[in-house]
Amino acid sequence: MSAIEARTAAADDARLESAAPPAVRSAAAYAIRTENIGVQYQLRFNKKKTIRQSLAEVLSRQPVQRFWALHHVSVQLVHGESLAVIGPNGAGKSTFLQVLAGIIRPSEGIVDVRGQISGLLTLGAGFDQELTGRENILLAGAFLGLDEDLVSDLLPAIIEYADLGDFIDAPIKVYSSGMRARLGFSIATSVDPDILLLDEVLATGDATFREKSKARVIELVKAAKAVVLVTHDMAWVTEYCNRAILIEKGEVVVEGEPEEVVEVHREHTAAEKERKEAEAVAARLDPKLAPVRR
Amino acid sequence: MLGFGEMAAIKELRGRTYDASVRPGPLALVAEGVQDVLSRRRLVRYLARADIKKKGANTLLGNIWWVLDPLLQMVVYVIFVEIISPRKVPDYPLFILGTILPWKWFTTAVQDSTMSVVSQERLIKQIQFPKIVLPLASMTSAVIDFAFGMIPLLGLMLLFPHRITPYLLLIPFVAVVQYVFTIAFGLVVAAGNVFFRDLANVVRHVLRLWWFLSPGLYSISQLEGAGLFRSHPLLRQLALLNPFAILFDSYRSLIYGSIDRNGVSSPPAMPDWAGLVGLLVVSFFLVGVAIAIFKRLEPNFAKVL
Repeated sequence: MSAIEARTAAADDARLESAAPPAVRSAAAYAIRTENIGVQYQLRFNKKKTIRQSLAEVLSRQPVQRFWALHHVSVQLVHGESLAVIGPNGAGKSTFLQVLAGIIRPSEGIVDVRGQISGLLTLGAGFDQELTGRENILLAGAFLGLDEDLVSDLLPAIIEYADLGDFIDAPIKVYSSGMRARLGFSIATSVDPDILLLDEVLATGDATFREKSKARVIELVKAAKAVVLVTHDMAWVTEYCNRAILIEKGEVVVEGEPEEVVEVHREHTAAEKERKEAEAVAARLDPKLAPVRR
Repeated sequence: MLGFGEMAAIKELRGRTYDASVRPGPLALVAEGVQDVLSRRRLVRYLARADIKKKGANTLLGNIWWVLDPLLQMVVYVIFVEIISPRKVPDYPLFILGTILPWKWFTTAVQDSTMSVVSQERLIKQIQFPKIVLPLASMTSAVIDFAFGMIPLLGLMLLFPHRITPYLLLIPFVAVVQYVFTIAFGLVVAAGNVFFRDLANVVRHVLRLWWFLSPGLYSISQLEGAGLFRSHPLLRQLALLNPFAILFDSYRSLIYGSIDRNGVSSPPAMPDWAGLVGLLVVSFFLVGVAIAIFKRLEPNFAKVL
């Protein structure tokens, strides 16, 4: 059995197994394993500021402010699974993806990732305005750490999918935003990763492009051995994911079947909305909290 | 359960484990940094090339500025010093152009390096790559500044033909020492600027002060001739500790020659090799320290930016 066949077979096995209780899953088969990870931000150091401000802070002996963007997150994902990460804005979903991608290192805990990992970048991040489309593809490939031969193999397909015509040899600065998005998307999806990290990638671009890109992402999700998806689109979660976690205030609240987790999220969102409305009403009734009118 | 074959296949996948409780030591950090650069040589090359292309494309006169800029700077200094200096230095334009050019290279490299990491903010937040390539590419592309500086230098040399010697061919050896020293300095400011955004301003002023404290417009022997060190011998030691005392003196030996305490100039000669080798060794050590510092701070870049 060739290595590729073996991998596919393993992935199929894992797909079947993911329905089984976690204990059954083989430790060797996981694609992603995080053990009790936490990401802590210290406001003194993790905020851009000037030397003068920092000195002032040190001299005034303010206590160091810290907060956990992510805390006690333990997740295991075997090859073949696709995990949805949902939760309110600012809950730590994107931080979680950044940790998996190796962009941010956790302050505590263990992250273990097996296989070539790829995230869909915000379209066109890191493009160099002065370089041509073609040169930017090479540059992006180098940033992603792809092999030179691989990039030159992928080049024709990337150019074709981006559909830029002669513009491919013009500097990026003359591109329209749509052209830029197409090129970025084409680069990001050209690699065939083992683990795919998706962060709200479907929210950008015009309607036709969104349709086209959605089809491509579905293709990738089907081909990838493991997928982690951050989204607000609950239809996606139930349709394409076989597991889901709900993150609130940096901690995993629920983990399990997508339908169940989405339901919990709906309830929480509704409760939160109610609470906010009640607060607004209270503020209107309480003159102390109301805005001062003359 | 998985069969043996399947398990082996999965183990083939490239793995990456990060354990927050394990902190690498400084030597491990240096090894990691060197490995980063070696594995991403192509990225450094692309970035440096893009940088060079941009520098030429953005200005009206393009690459002409690389030639014109040091010459104009030289003219200003020549006029200024001719007016205030009581004692004339023979062939003074050549005396200072030989130090203006390497200094311009150094300041360009350091200033570009300072901004190299923060200017890639969006990218750093979205993909994982060794950030050390950014300042390294900036400093490498700045070499072109010095290379183009050879054009006005050779042009000026035609006006002082008696100073033209084969010693000019040794300039690249001095440049290598300067390059290594620049990397040490540039890596630290590139990392520091992520945390303190006004570091770029501080660096600019430090560089200006550094230039006037370095023997660029004058030479150490002139100061000796003026009796400056007679009352303060410690000052002389300090002046000689400056890496640019050695570098400027070496460039000047090759391009201009030297000038003694009494203002008598002699033709080009071998530079102070012992001093250069010493500086090279120290610079390599400093590069090691700089890589360790950079790698230690690197994990926080994505958080702070």
